[in-house]
Amino acid sequence: MQDTGRFQSGMRKAAQIPIEITVQLWKSVFRHGLPLTDRIATRTALTNYWLHAHPPRIRKSHMKFSYTFCLGGISFFLFILLTVTGLFLMFYYVPSVTYAYQNMKDLQYAVSFGIVMRNLHRWSAHAMVITVWLHMCRVFYTGSYKPPREFNWGIGVLLLLMTLLLSFTGYLLPWDQLSLWAVTVGTNMAKYAPIMGPQVRFSMLGSYTVGNATVLRFYVAHVLGLPLAAAIAMMVHFWRVRKDGFSGNL
Amino acid sequence: MSETTAPRPAAPAAGATTPRPAAPARPAAPASLKKDADSSIPSYPALVYREFIASLVVGVILTVVSVVVQSPLQQGADPSMTPDPSKAPWYFLGLQELLSRVPPITAGVAFPTFVIVGLIVMPYLDRNPARHPRDRKVGVLIFTAFIVFSVAFALIGTFFRGLEWKWYWLGILGK
Repeated sequence: MQDTGRFQSGMRKAAQIPIEITVQLWKSVFRHGLPLTDRIATRTALTNYWLHAHPPRIRKSHMKFSYTFCLGGISFFLFILLTVTGLFLMFYYVPSVTYAYQNMKDLQYAVSFGIVMRNLHRWSAHAMVITVWLHMCRVFYTGSYKPPREFNWGIGVLLLLMTLLLSFTGYLLPWDQLSLWAVTVGTNMAKYAPIMGPQVRFSMLGSYTVGNATVLRFYVAHVLGLPLAAAIAMMVHFWRVRKDGFSGNL
Repeated sequence: MSETTAPRPAAPAAGATTPRPAAPARPAAPASLKKDADSSIPSYPALVYREFIASLVVGVILTVVSVVVQSPLQQGADPSMTPDPSKAPWYFLGLQELLSRVPPITAGVAFPTFVIVGLIVMPYLDRNPARHPRDRKVGVLIFTAFIVFSVAFALIGTFFRGLEWKWYWLGILGK
């Protein structure tokens, strides 16, 4: 009898070990337990790298959906989604007029989920232009660009510009008739700059017409230069939102 | 959870739509975080949860759209064959529409520069401290005019321009 009791208590202790390890694992990641009380929740947000972009506490009225419509957050989510789908597309894309169009056909017919990834990338890009634009409208109509947020509004305008340029550079990459002529029309506008017009256009295209050099330039700008610049601008943008505080209700 | 029956301090008369206090009467910044009707809550998990739901909704919608609607892919690029009309991406079609109406230096250079620089310096030029749209009619009017014109021009460029950039009613049918 005594042996059975010892065996049972041993089993109970052994059964505790996975739970203890789970709790330890959770605490090692979040540094605190489950957010069951206000105190634990606040401290978790305050001491977590990913969560500290949020204020530790927020007024109930500032949670109102009809004030922000989540537009800034959705724009950021779309940026992440575009980065992920873009990385997938990069595996199958060679920035050269010889291969680019064939790569599109391969994505459509040969690559598993290739066309879904391409669609997701394209529609997310269109959606991001719209959400960033609407975000700007929301910030204007709520007067949230007023002091102390004037500087962050300027960063936001630059982010809108970068979103448009990201979308525009990506437009060329499939190298079909649509991309070629849309970019030809778009870059023709640069020609009209007062002094350096033709030079500006040449440095954009890497040539006098849209061609191989343009595809490479737009590709590098699209996958490296502009996302990097946008990411840096976003870091400043979010940090200022955090430091200047939520603009709150009208 | 009897919030509806709990007595709330300084609650307005039942059913009455109390008029908003005039702008100067409002306190500049309610600094106190003391317990009141608008007390603060931890942003985690409430706000984080909402961000997660918003991302999920947008992600699901876009996935469904991406399965159903195909991205356009025309014939391979051919520099010797110019389509008519040649259109810029839709978000630049407002500019292209403007380009067809005013001298190119205005539409292609002056106007975009004016808009970008104008937007960036706008908060410094706007000396009106009011935030509610009702209290800053001029600013709202100018910005709304800009929004309406840019959206209208983009729509015209997208749907109502055909051969040689002539007005084309049937463009809206996608033909």
